This record gives sequence, structure tokens and C-alpha cells, in this order.
Amino acid sequence: MNELTFRVYIGDMDPELLTFLKRYVDSFTKVDLLRFFHNNPHTIDTVENIAHYAGRDQETVQRELTQLATRGLLEETQLGQMVVYALADNSQLRKQLAAFVAASNDPQFRIRLIYYLVKGGHF
Amino acid sequence: MPQVSKRVHTGVPGLDEMLNGGLLPCTANLVEGAPGCGKTTLGMQFIYHGALEGEPGLILTFEQFPQQYYRDAASFGWDFRALEKQGLLKVVMSSPEVAQADLEQFNGKITRLVHRMQAKRILVENISYFERMSRDPIELRALLYSFLNALKREGLVTLLTRETYVLLGDEAAEDADQTNLSFLADSYILLRYVEIESAIRRAIIVLKMRGSAHDKRIRQFDIGSQGMVVQDPFRGREGIMSGNPRQMAESFIKAFIRR
Repeated sequence: MNELTFRVYIGDMDPELLTFLKRYVDSFTKVDLLRFFHNNPHTIDTVENIAHYAGRDQETVQRELTQLATRGLLEETQLGQMVVYALADNSQLRKQLAAFVAASNDPQFRIRLIYYLVKGGHF
Repeated sequence: MPQVSKRVHTGVPGLDEMLNGGLLPCTANLVEGAPGCGKTTLGMQFIYHGALEGEPGLILTFEQFPQQYYRDAASFGWDFRALEKQGLLKVVMSSPEVAQADLEQFNGKITRLVHRMQAKRILVENISYFERMSRDPIELRALLYSFLNALKREGLVTLLTRETYVLLGDEAAEDADQTNLSFLADSYILLRYVEIESAIRRAIIVLKMRGSAHDKRIRQFDIGSQGMVVQDPFRGREGIMSGNPRQMAESFIKAFIRR
């Protein structure tokens, strides 16, 4: 990305928000899942059920949940024969997530976010 | 002299009198009724009232998203978001399979949440979802028994809702193939729609309350701007629970004179 494009799309984005974006958000499904967990912060469920709640296909949701768990935003727990996911019990991360969700309600930020995701999650 | 258990107030005017003062501690209490008849309102009122009395509560939902509770509660002036911020309420979204397995585990997530917020009450919505876990009624009953005992183990007063599928009329036949949860519950409250003079009204009856006396009359209830309010018993009518009550005089004539 050249300097001009960078300035147009990154502009004066909050550095913490940018770090969060780079660390956790690289697909539209992840955006949906992050919003879902922010709005339903005490969800504990399987991939199958989370996919139903989010209205996304199970295979994609499985991949994205696994990645979010690997990156520390979600907790992955083995419950008997089930694997369940929940938002990590980390108040700092939850604050960052809340800031991301709040920002994503802003149309200007959404344009940047879409551009970022279309570009493959890289600035 | 035997010790009298402290009652847990539901916060529904009129209902605590029907329950001889309120629900009993560490009990599982079933509220059954048709869609829209007021089960969730009763449950939210129970949780809200508990929070006001300094008894934190959990809503364990298998069905509705937490936002729906916030929105519905707000329509009665109950600020669930503020209660969440104060640590007096948490809405946990899960499925019966996961909730069951989590509670069976030592120090599972739900148990940890109960301990952390020192929860005293829980609303479980909707217990009908357990029915998808097994087609075998004996296995299903065992699963529910274990689930309810786990909640009692945590010292919670549980309100369970269960949906019935017939709006008016005799539901017994319709639900005959489903596990009768009322055997497992400590109390059993039935909400019904009834048709009186071409208008639909709501009726409530406490069918069972283990270890306590209770009002056995069928009462009317209303859902207004402040939530649910239980009113006077239906008078001069019978067949209320059939959904289509008759004036008692009319029944008398039918039974004795027209023969």
C-alpha cells in the first residue's frame, strides 16, 4: 500500500484500534463473531450453535473461532465430547473489543474496515 | 419447633400470596404456558425483584438473545443493562447440552459465574429445549434431574419456563408424549389463556408446591406497564383451565336439569 492510500484509509485511526484490528480481525465473519460475542458476552457454546446464532456456515465459523481462540480473544474448552467457545475472561481485551464494536458503528470506520478486509487484512 | 424456611419473593404482586409467601430456597420451580402468555415476563420480574432485594440473578437462555431481554425488560422500566454493570445480573446464552456438561464439571464457567456474582436466583429459558437431547423419556428425565440438582447444589432458586403448544383447550393430550417435568419440579405454576365473553384473558394456578401450602384457586392476571399482577380468583365460572369456561349456573342447568 502506498503512502497516500495508507493516509486515506488509516488516517488518524486510534493506534490501539489499529493494533486490535491487525491482531484479531481479518475477515467479515470475524467481524460478525466479534460483534456477536460483544453483544452476548456470556455465551458458552459449540461451533454448531454459534454458527446458528450468527447465521453463518459452520465450517467457516469453526475456522474463525479456532483462530480467535489461538489469538487469545476466545477461550476454547473441552467439555466431555464437545468443544465450546466463550469470550476470554480478560477485562482489558473486553474493553478493546467494546471499542472496536463502537468504532464499527461509525460509517467512516466501516469504510476503512471494509477496505482493510478486502485487501486481505493487511495495511 | 421446626425452622421455617425464608421465602423467596417473586416480585409479582399477588403471586407470593398464592405461594404462601413466596418460593422456597434451593428449589426448582416450573412455569408452563402457551407462547406469549407471560412466562418470560414472570421470569424477568423474578430476577429483577431479586436484584432489587440484593439477590443477584442469572438468566440462562437457550432461545432468546440477551438484547431481547434488555429490550423487553426496558418496556417495564427495568434497566437490565444497569443491573449487569452493577454485577446483579448476567445473561448467559448457551444450549442445554453445554449448560448440562458445564454444570457437571468441577468449577465450570457457569458455576464460576454463580460464585463470582454470588447469584441467588436463576431463570432458565426455555427448558423445552432439553427435549431435543433425548427421545427416551427416562434418559431425558435423568438429564433434567441432574441439571436441576446441579442448580440446587449451587444454592440457587430456579425458575424454569416451558412452552406448551396449545393456546386454548385441554393440553394434556397434546403434551402426553413429552416428559412431564412437573414431577421433577418443586413447584408447578400454570399460565393459561381463557376465553370469557369473546375476550381472551389470562389465568394462573399453582398446581403443586412441594413442602408448602398454596392457593388452589385459579386467578386472573394481567401484564401492565409495571409487569405482571395477579388479581382476584375467577368467580362464578368453571372449566377455566379448559380455556373455555362456563357460567356455573349454566353448568348446573346442563348437569342437572336438562338431563
